[in-house]
Amino acid sequence: MSLLIDLQNITKVYRSGESEFHALKGISFQLFRGEMLAIVGASGSGKSTMMNIMGFLDHCSTGNYFFSGHNVSRLTDKELAVTRNQKIGFVFQSFFLLPRLNALQNVMLPLFYREEPEALARNKALAILKKVGMEKLIDHRPNQLSGGQQQRVAIARALVGEPDVIFADEPTGSLDSKTGEEVMKLFLHLNQEEGRTIVIVTHDKGVSHLCQRVVALKDGLIVCD
Amino acid sequence: MPACCCIKRWANRMRLINHVQEGLANLLSSKLRSILALLGILVGTASVVAMVLGGELVTNEALKQFKTLGTDLLAVSVNDSDQGSTSGMLNNLTLPDIYALQTIDRSIVEAAPYAQLYNSSQFNGHELNTSILGVTESFAHLVHLGLASGRFISTLDGYEFFCVIGAKVNSQIKRLTYLDAVGQQIQVGKNIFTIVGIAKPWPENSFVYADIDSTVMVPILTSTSLSKYAAINNIILRLTPDANIEQVQTNITNYINQHVADKRLFFRSAKELIAHMSAQSQIFTVFLGLIGSISLLVGGIGVMNIMLVSVVERRREIGIRLAVGAKRSDIWALFLIEAVMLSLIGGTCGVTLGVIVAYIMAVCWHWEFTLFFMPPLVGFTVSVAVGIFFGYYPAYKASQLDPIEALRSE
Repeated sequence: MSLLIDLQNITKVYRSGESEFHALKGISFQLFRGEMLAIVGASGSGKSTMMNIMGFLDHCSTGNYFFSGHNVSRLTDKELAVTRNQKIGFVFQSFFLLPRLNALQNVMLPLFYREEPEALARNKALAILKKVGMEKLIDHRPNQLSGGQQQRVAIARALVGEPDVIFADEPTGSLDSKTGEEVMKLFLHLNQEEGRTIVIVTHDKGVSHLCQRVVALKDGLIVCD
Repeated sequence: MPACCCIKRWANRMRLINHVQEGLANLLSSKLRSILALLGILVGTASVVAMVLGGELVTNEALKQFKTLGTDLLAVSVNDSDQGSTSGMLNNLTLPDIYALQTIDRSIVEAAPYAQLYNSSQFNGHELNTSILGVTESFAHLVHLGLASGRFISTLDGYEFFCVIGAKVNSQIKRLTYLDAVGQQIQVGKNIFTIVGIAKPWPENSFVYADIDSTVMVPILTSTSLSKYAAINNIILRLTPDANIEQVQTNITNYINQHVADKRLFFRSAKELIAHMSAQSQIFTVFLGLIGSISLLVGGIGVMNIMLVSVVERRREIGIRLAVGAKRSDIWALFLIEAVMLSLIGGTCGVTLGVIVAYIMAVCWHWEFTLFFMPPLVGFTVSVAVGIFFGYYPAYKASQLDPIEALRSE
C-alpha cells in the first residue's frame, strides 16, 4: 500500500487577541491508500481541525504535510482550492447540499469548478448517482429528499471528481440508526469493493467499529492508533 | 488578480452562461428584495436619461431657429459714437455705402440693410399694432422669410409706397375686412401704402432685432423719407462658409470709419451665437445629468446593501462551494455577476422609462422630439458601471470568507 498522507509534527494555534488556543499540539500520522480510518475523540479534541488541515480547508501553523509525496504545507489559497477540487471529497453531517439546485446539479458542482464540459460532467454525475442508488431522484431538490437520500447525493458529490481520499465529518450524525447503517454500508462497499480511501470523523462507537483502523485524539494529541 | 482570472474564464462562454443562469436563479429566489434593488437603479437611470435627454431637447429647440437661418450670417448694428453725436443724421449710412461695403471683403456674399421706425399705422381708420421696417429686396432671402401671397419688396420699388405685411398684421387686418389684404391700403403717418404681399409666419430669434410678423415692410428708401429719425442702422451680411469673421469685422469697421463717419459698430455672428448657446446648454445638460446621477448613486448604494445582506445570508452556500473546490475568484464572480445583472436589468428598464419621460416632457412643452443616441447610451453604461462599482465590495467580501467559518455558520 502506498503512502497517501504523511503528517509530521503538525500544530495548529488559533489566536484571538491576547489568548492562544492550541487545537493541535504536534500530530504525526500516516495514511495509506485504500485504508478506511475513523478519527474519534471528544468535542474539542482537535479531530475536526485535523480533518480540515488534511482536507485542504485550513493551513497548519507548524509542521509538514506531505500529500502523495509532495509537501503541501505552504500552498496558496488558490492552490488549496484546486487541490480540494481534484484530490478531496467531503461528506458533512448536515449534508450541505445547495438548496436551489437539484440532485444532479449538486453532484455536478465540483466538475463545474473544474471547468469540465457540461455533457461530460452530466454523464459522470448520472453514473455516480446510479452507483449510490439515486438515479430515480436526480431532478429532486434537497428539501424533497429524506436525510438518507440527501446524504447519498452528498456522497455522490464527493465521489464524482474521482478524489484520492474522502473525508466524512459525522456522516451518520443527522440520520436515524437504520439509514445511518445504510450509509455506512455504502462507505464499506466503496472501501472494500472499489479500494477508495475513506476517513471518517465520528464519536459514534458503532461507526468506528466498522473501520479497520481507529485513531483517537485527546486535547490535540493522538492518544491511540 | 481575481479580475484577470475571471476575464480569462469569461472567454469560456458556456461558463458565463452558467454563471448568469445561476445568478438569475439566485435573484429570483428573493424576488421582493431583488425588485427593490432593481427599482433603485431603475429610477436613477431613468432620471439621468430623462434629464440629459430633456436638456438636449431644449438645446435643440433653442438652436433650431438659428439652424433655419444658416450659420454664415453676420449682423451689424451701427450706432453714433459719443463724440460724433453732434454731426447727426448727415452722417448716416446710405444705400450706396452698403453696396460699396459688399465689395470691400471677398468673404461678404450679400448684404441686407434695414431701418426700423416706430410710426403708427392705420387700416380703414383702425389703429394697427405694428412697426415699420425699411428693407431691400435681399432681406427676405437672407433671413429666410417666405411669402404667403403677393410679392416682396423689389429694388425697382425705389421710393414707391408699397408694403409687405407680416403674418400677425395680416390677421389684424382680417378682423377688419373680408377682402384679401393684398391690394388694400394702409396709412402710415400721412402716407398711404398699397399692400403688395403677405409674409408667412417667421419664428422670432435674437439674431434679427425685429418681430417681423408684426411689421409693415416698406422699401428702404421710402422708409428714410418717412421720418427724420429713420436711418439704416442694421445690416445683415451673408458670408462665405470659410470667412474669417474677425477679419471681416475689422474691415467693415475701418471702411465705415474712414468713408462714412465715426460710428460705433456691434457685431453678432450666428456662428458665435450658436457656439455660445451650445456651450451654455452643454453646462446645463451636464448639470442636469449630475442631479440625475445622485439618484443613481442612491440606487447603487441600494444594490450594495442588498448584496451585503445576501453575502451574509449565503455564507453557508459560499462555504459549500469553497469545500467542493471553488476558487475565491469563482465566488467573486458569482456575486459580482448578480450585482451587474441587477443593474443591467434596472438600467435597461430605466433607459426605457427615461426616454418615455423625456417624450412626455417634449409633448407637454411642444418641443420637437428627437431620440438622441447619447443619453440612453450614457444612462445604460453608467448604470452598469454603478453595478460593478457597488457590487465589487460585497463580492470581494464574499470571496474572502474562510471556508471553515462559512461552513459553520447557520
